[in-house]
Amino acid sequence: MTPQQDPASQPRWPTTLVILLLLAAFCGGLLIINATAENVPGRRVADGLVADTPGATFQPATLPHWNCCSTEPLIFRTTLDAQTANARDPALLVVSAHDNARLYVDGVLVGGEGPSTGDPTNWSRRPRLIRIPPPLAHAGAVLDIEVQRSVGFGHLRPVYLGEYDALYPSYVALRVLRADMHVATGVIAAFVAAFCFAAASLLGARGLMYSLGGLAASWALQVIGLSPSDPPWNGAVANGIYFVGYLGTSIFLLWFFIEWTSVFSERNDLRHRLGWLTAPWPRKARRALGLSAIGAMVAGAALIAVTIYLNPPIGSQEVDRACGFLGLAVIAFCLVRVVSYYRRNGFRDPFEASAFIFVLIAAVVDIIMVRFFFIYGVSLGAAVMFFPLALLLSLAARARGVFEAATATAEKLNVLVEKREREILVNMEEIRRNERAAMLLEERSRIMRDMHDGIGGQLLGLILQARSRKLSDDALVSGLEQSLDDLRLVVDSLEQGEGSLTGALGAFRARIEPRCEAAGVTLDWQIEDVGATPNIGPDKTLQIYRVLLEACTNALKHGAPTRIGVVLRRDGDSIEIALADDGGGFVQQTAAIGRGLTNMRTRAQQIGAELAVASGDTGTRIALTLAA
Amino acid sequence: MVTRADGLEIAGVADTLASGRALIGPGVDVLLIDLALPDGNGVELIRETRERVPNIKIIVVSIFGDARSVVRAIEAGADGYLLKGAGEQQAEEAIRSVLGGGAPISPAVASHILTRMRERMSPNGPSPDVPLTEKETAVLIDLAKGFRYKEVARLHGISPHTVADHVKSIYRKLAVNSRSEAVFEAVQAGLIKLKD
Repeated sequence: MTPQQDPASQPRWPTTLVILLLLAAFCGGLLIINATAENVPGRRVADGLVADTPGATFQPATLPHWNCCSTEPLIFRTTLDAQTANARDPALLVVSAHDNARLYVDGVLVGGEGPSTGDPTNWSRRPRLIRIPPPLAHAGAVLDIEVQRSVGFGHLRPVYLGEYDALYPSYVALRVLRADMHVATGVIAAFVAAFCFAAASLLGARGLMYSLGGLAASWALQVIGLSPSDPPWNGAVANGIYFVGYLGTSIFLLWFFIEWTSVFSERNDLRHRLGWLTAPWPRKARRALGLSAIGAMVAGAALIAVTIYLNPPIGSQEVDRACGFLGLAVIAFCLVRVVSYYRRNGFRDPFEASAFIFVLIAAVVDIIMVRFFFIYGVSLGAAVMFFPLALLLSLAARARGVFEAATATAEKLNVLVEKREREILVNMEEIRRNERAAMLLEERSRIMRDMHDGIGGQLLGLILQARSRKLSDDALVSGLEQSLDDLRLVVDSLEQGEGSLTGALGAFRARIEPRCEAAGVTLDWQIEDVGATPNIGPDKTLQIYRVLLEACTNALKHGAPTRIGVVLRRDGDSIEIALADDGGGFVQQTAAIGRGLTNMRTRAQQIGAELAVASGDTGTRIALTLAA
Repeated sequence: MVTRADGLEIAGVADTLASGRALIGPGVDVLLIDLALPDGNGVELIRETRERVPNIKIIVVSIFGDARSVVRAIEAGADGYLLKGAGEQQAEEAIRSVLGGGAPISPAVASHILTRMRERMSPNGPSPDVPLTEKETAVLIDLAKGFRYKEVARLHGISPHTVADHVKSIYRKLAVNSRSEAVFEAVQAGLIKLKD
């Protein structure tokens, strides 16, 4: 696939602008929600928190960053202020704890998730709004927030103390950002994955579509792993699913970017300054990459499963740390590829460019936020919705370019074909005219030949005899009658042009019956209705007449028969015409018979018929067989 | 060709279509007519005569008796045909046969009529107003094969007169159908406009 320079596939900046505006509106909405979430009307207690970290009791809380790897929960401690203690309905808002969090007031458990001993059965990643029971609420009460350690390494974002109803809107906004939006992006990703897998074989660029589908599917898998509601499986399995999804996202992102920057590059050669890192990959290499990506997925999933199975809390943390580094490396690699891709090809497709830039920035920002500032990122969620949309638009634009080129080619072909058709029609007309003229000419010369053979010779004979005064009146009449008979034979044969041999042979009866009667021979007329005989035209009919006439003459002159039978029948596509007598046969071969037979053979040959001659003591049978 | 015979008298002889027209009248029983006349086609005169004198017998005289001309004449209303060059006796026989209700037909003519009728029965042609009956078709097929009236009669177990009746009926249907076909063709060609 080479990029089209067709006007149709030129950048569509207005559309891109609309998309970017929609995206800006979407991100703006998210920001407002985020602002609502962060603008909590209560006492921010992040600064007052002290943490119970391993090996030290209640240190000033510097949040444990990838403090790998430990199983005992982290306990964050603060005290209840007088204002909150005197509130009507005091409450604590946990903005974000990546792992289970529980609240103790003066050592009494008042809310939260997770077991107090042993491995947790699930890991809750929800924001929490926990009521402090009024009897326990007094100024200076000790608040212990216990965070179990897993994917989030026990980290805790600032907590807020205040009136329950006042904290509630922030809690809802947090839930939208961290739970509901996840579900939405997961569903979108699932749809994109299904579309990509289904359309891969239709669109042609299979590697591209499979990698994009894999990317979307693994994102959906991450969302399932981070499911905001308690899943039917336990926390370790949920973590496993999340990590496999994360691993897939990294691997497929790598594959996808290599595919995209290779498929749509104009020059496909690896002789590049940085080689495989920046240059387009050839088809074979990409195929191998796809297969190894799938292999890496399977191996990675197995490794994750084993690691988490052996020790769920510690294993989860180890895997999380490894995945974090992998993700960063992949993003860096993709950035390098995208930059070199644009250096090579220039910004030609705004859809594509906006998708790439946006998703890469979002990913970098989110990873930095989560990993280094423990602030929940929202931009990747927005990017996940936008990325496939922009890429599919880009693909559609490319497809349209190809389609328009194909249409233009088809139109050119159509014009060409029409022109040729007209030429052919003109030629055909001429050929037909020539054929008709040739047929007429042939028919004319045939009739002239027939006249010459028959009537011409007879009349000439009569003239010669009359000149030498050897012609009696009777001979003259019979000679002229014979001539007229022959002329009628020609006319009869011409009539055959539009009917069936049945009628033609029927007409022939009048030619031979008088002779048979004169010789005292019974004519046995066995004619079948043979239907249409399109293959037997006037020329063939005349030859058939002549063969029959010759056969009849021979029979009457030499065979001394009592009976002559004429047969016409059809056998499938072939027609048989036969004349049989019960005379003595050709016992004595005379010159006349020999000449007659030769004549008949010649005539049969001329019309493509088979001539069968059978002669014996009991009579002679002469049969013609030809196609109807 | 016919000069004198018992009970037959020559009412008149004409060389042209125009003089032929003048001859036709109630006193004439038989019209012998050649199709190739110097001032027009005999078929026209046959049609006119058939209209003016319905009971007259019309016999076409032809050198070759070629089916196309004979069938055209029959469609115009002729009752039979006679080959030019036939002996006096044959001519007299033919005239008497037609006068006596006979209907001469040659195998070629029968075959030609069959072909025409089959064409009409084909889906894209005009269907005949008066189609041939099965019996008539069977008789026509045997006549096309070259069988004589007597032979056809024996084959079908009927009298030769009945065969002649069938042939006359076929001729009449041919004439009727040819008129409707002419109308059909004229409508097709836009010569006649039928009222809606």
